Amino acid sequence: MTAASGDSRLAADRIRAFEQAGSAEELVVATRRLIACDDRLATVPQLVQVLGFNNPGAAVAAVDGLIALGPAAVGPLLANLDAHNYGARAWAVRALAGIGDTRGLDVLEDALATDVGPSVRRAAARGLGTLRLETLAEAERQQVRERCLGALEGGRGDGEWVVRYAVAVGLEGLALPLPRAHPHRDRAEASLEQLQDPEREDTLVVQLRAGVALKRLNNQ
Amino acid sequence: MAGDGEPISEAEALEQLRQTDDQSRQYYAAWWLGRMRSRHPEAVPLLLAALRQRQPRDVGAGVEHNAVARNAARALGKIADGRAVSELLVVLDDDDDGLREAAARSLGELRATAAVPLLTRRLASGPDVAGAHRSDSPRLQEPCEAMLEALGTIGVAEPEILAVIKPFTGHGRPLVRSAACRALLQLTGETAWADELLQLLQHPQLQVRRAALMDLGAVGWRPALVPIQRTLAENSLKLIALRGLVEHGNGRGADSDDEAVLMAMDALL
Repeated sequence: MTAASGDSRLAADRIRAFEQAGSAEELVVATRRLIACDDRLATVPQLVQVLGFNNPGAAVAAVDGLIALGPAAVGPLLANLDAHNYGARAWAVRALAGIGDTRGLDVLEDALATDVGPSVRRAAARGLGTLRLETLAEAERQQVRERCLGALEGGRGDGEWVVRYAVAVGLEGLALPLPRAHPHRDRAEASLEQLQDPEREDTLVVQLRAGVALKRLNNQ
Repeated sequence: MAGDGEPISEAEALEQLRQTDDQSRQYYAAWWLGRMRSRHPEAVPLLLAALRQRQPRDVGAGVEHNAVARNAARALGKIADGRAVSELLVVLDDDDDGLREAAARSLGELRATAAVPLLTRRLASGPDVAGAHRSDSPRLQEPCEAMLEALGTIGVAEPEILAVIKPFTGHGRPLVRSAACRALLQLTGETAWADELLQLLQHPQLQVRRAALMDLGAVGWRPALVPIQRTLAENSLKLIALRGLVEHGNGRGADSDDEAVLMAMDALL
């Protein structure tokens, strides 16, 4: 990195420094500097690009940056999903999950049901519990939640423990804002009871996480 | 629960393991039975038969046979049936170090105390002999990591066993040091060995940080929670390590509630 770019907060300078980053460590630093520049919106293409670099440190910073940008990052994320790089897709799904925009619903649903990468499926499961529904009309909100719940119920039978763990987290997130005796809440609790049951779930940490979710729902 | 490979039924897997014409199908079937932790009464006898298919180490011949035998050895550890112990003990003396490695890991999973004398005997010559580099491959004379890990998992903490393990904490390869520290931490609970593993979690090589993550998880060392969160490695591996902290909690804070660790896991999904 040049001395000049080290001092400037201008997006253009920081993008140039990012493009010149030569090592993995330089890339982490350059990515962190992108998300702290004067015009973060201008850096979205670079942040999306970082997700495909197989550099976890830089990807974590990029995901944080994309989540902070919120809905403005959703379009570029959806337009650049990489079908051949599941590391990159996992980070993109994480960013979509963190942003919680309902435009990501199709991707999250599809990812949990069909993606070959457990890291993608687990990020999707978590995201299906945190979509922001408050601005939607009631009917649409019900419809979106119905789809999230259906997807999470399907994910309960996933072969990977970490995905079932994330399903428990997603179910908790989906049910917590709902009033008692809401049908969606009842269904989420029924799923969590299955995940808590040693007869039906063989991984201890999944049982424990489902137990914490049920405790939180009952203490409300 | 669905597996990762091509979907076959348990009956098909047993049949594919029983036939001996197509070893690639036997190889897959042995893996499948282990992965599914098959409880079928024929699974263990067929896997033991596949294990006996092994051949003397001979470059060019027997490679395929031993690939099946290695997968059978691994599957027997996952199925965790005590009937496998005596045959795995014989394999622990095989000339094929890949087979010795698979047998050591499985005997560890089986918590086979009967394997301890043989494991310690094979490691007793220390890092300079048992841990010496081979001239013909990047491997060591003995599969030290697997053998050290097995000793830690089996859990016999006699002084003479600790004395065999300790010199490996000074081995030239960080992965071997990590395995030795893991075993000593499991056997003694002494914080000094955890400190070594926490140091390795800062190692410049990702491969070493990954091993230290897995080792801290296997011990369930609760005080490692924050260092695990901070190390630069894939979330997938951090999640496995943190699962270990929850499921076999050891060390300071082990009796506190699990929720702090679970929340750290949530943040990594």
